[in-house]
Amino acid sequence: MASNNSLLSIKGLEKSYGSVVALKNANFEVSPGEIHALLGANGAGKSTLVKILTGVITSNNGTISLNGKQLTFSSPDDARKNGVAPVFQDPALIPDISIQRNLTLTSTNEARFVSELALMGLKVNLNEIAANIELPLLRMIDLARALSHDPELLILDEITAALPIDLAEKVITVMNNQKAKGKSVIFISHRLAEIEEICDRATVLRDGINVDTFEASQGSEERIVQAMLGEKNKRNSNEARTSRSSLSSQTLLEIKSISGGKHLKDLSFTIKKGEVLGVAALEGQGQDLLFEILAGESNPESGEILVNGKIVTFSHPSDAINLGISYVPGDRKSALMPQRSIRENLALTRFRGISKWGVINSKDEEVRVDDAVSSLQIDTRAKSQVKRLSGGNQQKVTIGRWVTTGFDLLLCFDPTRGIDVGTKQQIYELVREFADQGKSVLLFTSELREIQLACDRAIVIYEGRVQADLPIEKCDEENLLNAAHGIAVAK
Amino acid sequence: MIKLKMFDESRISKSMLSLTGILFALYIITGLLDSYNFSIPAIGNIFYLGAALGLLAAGQTICMLTGGIDLSLAMIATGAAFIVSVKSSSGLLVALSLALLYCIVIGAINGLAVGLLGMNPLIMTLGMNAVLIGVFTVGVTTFLQGSSTVPEVLVTLSTASIIDTSGWVFESATADPRSWPFVASIVDTLSWPFFIWLLVSLIVLFILARTGLGRLIYAIGDNAQSARLAGVKVWKVQVTTYVMCAILGGIGGIILGGQSGAVALSLANSFLLPSVAAVVIGGTSIMGGIGGYKGTMMGTLILTLLSSLLTTINSSEAVKQMIYGAIVLALAWTYAKISENS
Amino acid sequence: MNLIQLKRQSWNLAIIVLALVLGAWRISQLPQFGAYEARTFVLGILPIALLSMGQALIIIGGGINLAIGAEAVLINCLSAKYMLDTSFSKSLMLAVVFIIVGVLIGALTGWIISVSGIADIVVTLATSFLLVGVAMYVMPQPGGGINQTLADLISGKVPNFIPPLICLILPILLIWIPLYRSKLGISMYAIGSNKDAAFLSGVNVNLTRIKLYAFGGLFAALSGLALTGITLSSSPFANISNTATLNSVAGAVLGGVALSGGVGGLIGPALAALILYFIPTILLAYGIDPAYSQIITGALTIVVVLLGGLLRKRTAGKK
Repeated sequence: MASNNSLLSIKGLEKSYGSVVALKNANFEVSPGEIHALLGANGAGKSTLVKILTGVITSNNGTISLNGKQLTFSSPDDARKNGVAPVFQDPALIPDISIQRNLTLTSTNEARFVSELALMGLKVNLNEIAANIELPLLRMIDLARALSHDPELLILDEITAALPIDLAEKVITVMNNQKAKGKSVIFISHRLAEIEEICDRATVLRDGINVDTFEASQGSEERIVQAMLGEKNKRNSNEARTSRSSLSSQTLLEIKSISGGKHLKDLSFTIKKGEVLGVAALEGQGQDLLFEILAGESNPESGEILVNGKIVTFSHPSDAINLGISYVPGDRKSALMPQRSIRENLALTRFRGISKWGVINSKDEEVRVDDAVSSLQIDTRAKSQVKRLSGGNQQKVTIGRWVTTGFDLLLCFDPTRGIDVGTKQQIYELVREFADQGKSVLLFTSELREIQLACDRAIVIYEGRVQADLPIEKCDEENLLNAAHGIAVAK
Repeated sequence: MIKLKMFDESRISKSMLSLTGILFALYIITGLLDSYNFSIPAIGNIFYLGAALGLLAAGQTICMLTGGIDLSLAMIATGAAFIVSVKSSSGLLVALSLALLYCIVIGAINGLAVGLLGMNPLIMTLGMNAVLIGVFTVGVTTFLQGSSTVPEVLVTLSTASIIDTSGWVFESATADPRSWPFVASIVDTLSWPFFIWLLVSLIVLFILARTGLGRLIYAIGDNAQSARLAGVKVWKVQVTTYVMCAILGGIGGIILGGQSGAVALSLANSFLLPSVAAVVIGGTSIMGGIGGYKGTMMGTLILTLLSSLLTTINSSEAVKQMIYGAIVLALAWTYAKISENS
Repeated sequence: MNLIQLKRQSWNLAIIVLALVLGAWRISQLPQFGAYEARTFVLGILPIALLSMGQALIIIGGGINLAIGAEAVLINCLSAKYMLDTSFSKSLMLAVVFIIVGVLIGALTGWIISVSGIADIVVTLATSFLLVGVAMYVMPQPGGGINQTLADLISGKVPNFIPPLICLILPILLIWIPLYRSKLGISMYAIGSNKDAAFLSGVNVNLTRIKLYAFGGLFAALSGLALTGITLSSSPFANISNTATLNSVAGAVLGGVALSGGVGGLIGPALAALILYFIPTILLAYGIDPAYSQIITGALTIVVVLLGGLLRKRTAGKK
C-alpha cells in the first residue's frame, strides 16, 4: 500500500455509539485516479465510515489524510471545501425549495451544474421544487451538483440502487470520466456485477474492520462474498438446524402477488402455522413495506392477503392485530414509548379497545407483565424509563408487549440489529419457543447467519419478487447472499 | 414476582421536591411580610383563589400530555359560566347540564379536528377561541339574553365553606367545636371551590394513573406511532382528551363566575396563559408523554401564592408579568437540562 | 413568469383577488373613495401587516414566536415614552435605536431556543410575559408621544396616504426581497423545510435560527414604531399584545405560510392583513356586530390551514 501516493488514507478509525461499536479499527486507502469499491454487509460499518469522511459525525479515534495532509472535517460543507463530495441515497436537497435555490444555498455554479447535467444527457427546470421531482432524477441532480464542485474524491453511497438502467449507466460513465481526469471515486454498492465491471479495487468491511482489499475483476464475486462472511461460515454448519417433521401443514397466511411502493413488484409466499419463516434481502428491496402491509400500517397497490384462507384488508393496525398478526418494528424508536416505563410499554397493547379504557386491574396486569418479563428475561434492574435500557432489553420489550396480549403471527423486522450477542441468542430461543407453542413468526434479518439459527424456511427477496424459497438446510449464508444479489442458487 | 415501578419515581420525586421547596420558600416570604399569612384562613384563601386556575390547568395538563394544547380554554370556561348564569331561570340543573353539553361539544370539535383532520392544535384552538369570542359577543344580545349575574346558589357555593355551621346549636360554648382551637379556621378553609378542586383533582389523578385511558394519554403523547402500531385508535383518545379538557375548563369557569358574582366575556382571559405556565412549571413537557397533574397542582399553588405575594407588596402588574415569565423560563430550562443529561 | 412560478404564486393571487373583491365591497359602502379613505385603509393594516410578516418569516424557518405581539408592544411603549416632546432628529435617532433593540430581543430569543433545547412555544410563552412586563414597567399607563414630523412621515398628514404605503412597501423591497434572494434567506427556508438536509447542505442551523428570530424582531419593532406613529401613544396591555400575536399567526397562515415550515413568503401575509381588516369594517358598516367578524376570521383561519395542508399533500405526492 503506497501511502505516499495516496489520495485518501484512513488509519485506525474508531467510532462507538455508547456500547455499540460501529468501527473498531478501520483502515482504508484510495489512490488518485481510482474507482474503489467499499463493501460490507449491513452493520459492517460502511455508512459510519462515510459519515465520518464527509463530516456528518466525528470519530472517536484514528486519522484521515487527504493528499498527505491530516484533516478532520467539522461539517459536510467543510468536507466539500476540501474536495470530498458525497452523494447519498437520500438526496441532500431541501425539499420545499427550487433546484436553483438549492444550488445557491450550496454555492454551486449554476452554469456549471447545467452543463454537468447535460453531459449526462439530462436537463431539469431549475425553478422546479425539489419535492416534486422523482427520486431517480433527484439523485442525478445531487450527483451533478457534487460534480460542479470539482471534487477530488467523489463518494457514491448506493445511488445506483433503484435507478433505472439508463441512469445507472450514466453514473458509471461519470465515474469513468472522473477517473480519466485523475480524480477518484469511492463506490458503495451491493451490485457485485457493477463492481466487477467498473472498479479498480475493492475493500470489504466486516464488524468494523477492513478485512480484505483486492483488485476487482471478473469472478471476484466469490471472494467478495467470502470476505463479507468470514470464518464463521464454516462453523455455521454445526449449528444449522434441520427441517422439523412436526411442522403442521396448515397454512396460516398467504400472500398473493403483492405489489407496492417503489420496490415490491409481484411478491407471493405462504406461512404455515407454527413455522418460523425467514426473510433475507439486501437493503432497500421493499422488505420494510412488506412488513408494514402485513401489519396493517400501509396498503398494497395490488395483490391479496389471506389469513386462514379468507381474504382480508387492513385499514388500521388494529385490524391486523385482531386477526392475530402483531408487528415488532425494526426501528425500536417507532415501537417504544421512550419516556414511559417498562411496565407501561409491555401493557400498552392491552388498552387498544375502548372497553379497556376503564380502571386497570392491577393484579391482572402485574401477572401478565411479570410473565413477559420472566419469559423474555428482561433486565429490570435498569431505571424505569425505557429509553435508558440497552438496545437488547429494548428489543425484548418490543417483543414482550405482544406476549402480554397473545398473537398467531409475529412479524419481526430485524430484531437483532445492533444488539449484543447474548441477547441475540435469547431472541433466537424465544422465536423457537413461539414456534413450539404453535405460533408463527415472519423474521426479517440483515444478519444472514441468523436464518439458520432461528428459522424453519427462508425466502429471499430481490427486485420485488421472491427470488428463492429455501428449506432450512439450504439456508447457509453463501446461498442466501447469492440469492439476495439475484444470483441463482444451486437447488 | 418482580415489582416493576410504574414510572421513574426518583425523577418525579426530585422535581416534586424542588417544587415543594419553591412553594415553601414563597410561603415563608409571604408570612414574613404579613404574619396573617401563616394562619389557616390565609392558607385556605390560597386554595380558594387557586381552584379555578387549578381546574383550567388540569385540562391543559391532559392536553399537553398528548402533545397538544388548548388555547380556547379561557373562552370555554367563560362560556360555561355564561350559560349557567343566563339559563339559571330554567333551573340550576338545566343550566348546569347545558353548560356541560356546551363543553362536550366544543371539546369534541377541537378533538375531532386534531385527531381526524390532523390539524395543528395550536391553530385549531386559536381559531376556535376567536369563533367562541364572536359567538358569545353576539349571543349576549341575542340568543343568550338573560341575566349575566351568576345564580345565588353558585355564588354561595363559591364563597362559603362546605360545612354549613350556621345551624349548629350546642349546649354550651365549650361543647361547640367552633370554639376549639383551629377548628373554626379549618372549617372556613374548606371552601367549595377548594373542595371541588380537590375532588376533581383526585379524579384526574386517578384517571391518569390507574385507568387504561390514562395510559393511552401518556402513550400518544410519548409516541403516537407506537400506540398506533399497538392497535390504538389514536383519534379516539384525542377526542376524549379535548372533551375532558373542556369539561374541566367549564367547571373552572363556573367556579370563577361564582367567585366574581357576575360573568363578563373577559372572565377567564387572564387565566389562559397562566394555565399553560402552571403545567410547564409542574414539569409536564409540551411535547407530551411525560409529567402529570401532581406537578401542575404545585405549579398552580406557586403561581397563586406568587400572585398574592406580589399583590401584598403592592408590586405592579408589570413586575408580576416579568416574574411569571422568568419563572417559566428558568424551570423549563432546568427540566430540559435534566432530561438531556439523563 | 413561467408555469411553475405561476403555480407558486397562486396562493398570493387568490389573496389578491379576495382582497380586491372585499376592497371593492368596502368602497361601495363608502359615500366616496378618495385619498382620505385610502389612507384609512393603509393605516388600518400597517401594524398588523408588519407583524404578520415577522411571524410568517419565523414560521417559514420552522419556528413560532408567541411573544411577537409583546415585542411590538414593548417597542411601541419605549418609543412613545422617549419620543415625547423631542425634536425630529432625536426621534429619528431613537427610532433607529429601538429597531436595534427589537432585533437584539429577537436574536436573544433565538439564542435561548437554540441553546436550551426548550420548545419554541414554551420559550416564547415565557418571553411574552417578560416583555409585556417590561412594557408595563416602562409605561404604567397609556401615554407618551412622538415627534409630529416623524409621525407624519409614518402615517402621513391627512389625507396623504403615500407615507404609510411607503412604510408598508419599503420593508418588503429593502428587507424581504434581498433576504429572500440571499443565501441566508434560503438557509431559513432550509431549516424550516428539513433540518437534516439543511445541515448536509452546509447550513449552520443554530446560527441561522438566531438570525431568523432577529429578523422577526426587526419586523416586530417596525410594527411597534408604526403603532406609535399612528396612535401617537402607547398601549401597554397584555391582551393587546396577545391579540396582536394571534392575529399575526392568522395573517401568516392566511398568507400561505405552512405551519410545517419551509413554505410561503412575506407578501402573502401582508396582503392577508387587508382581508383581516376588511371583514370587520364591512360588517360594521352593515350594522352587523363586529363579533361576527371574529367568528368569520377564526373559522376562516381553521379552514385555510386545513385546506392548505390537504393541498400540499396532494401536490407533493408524498406522505
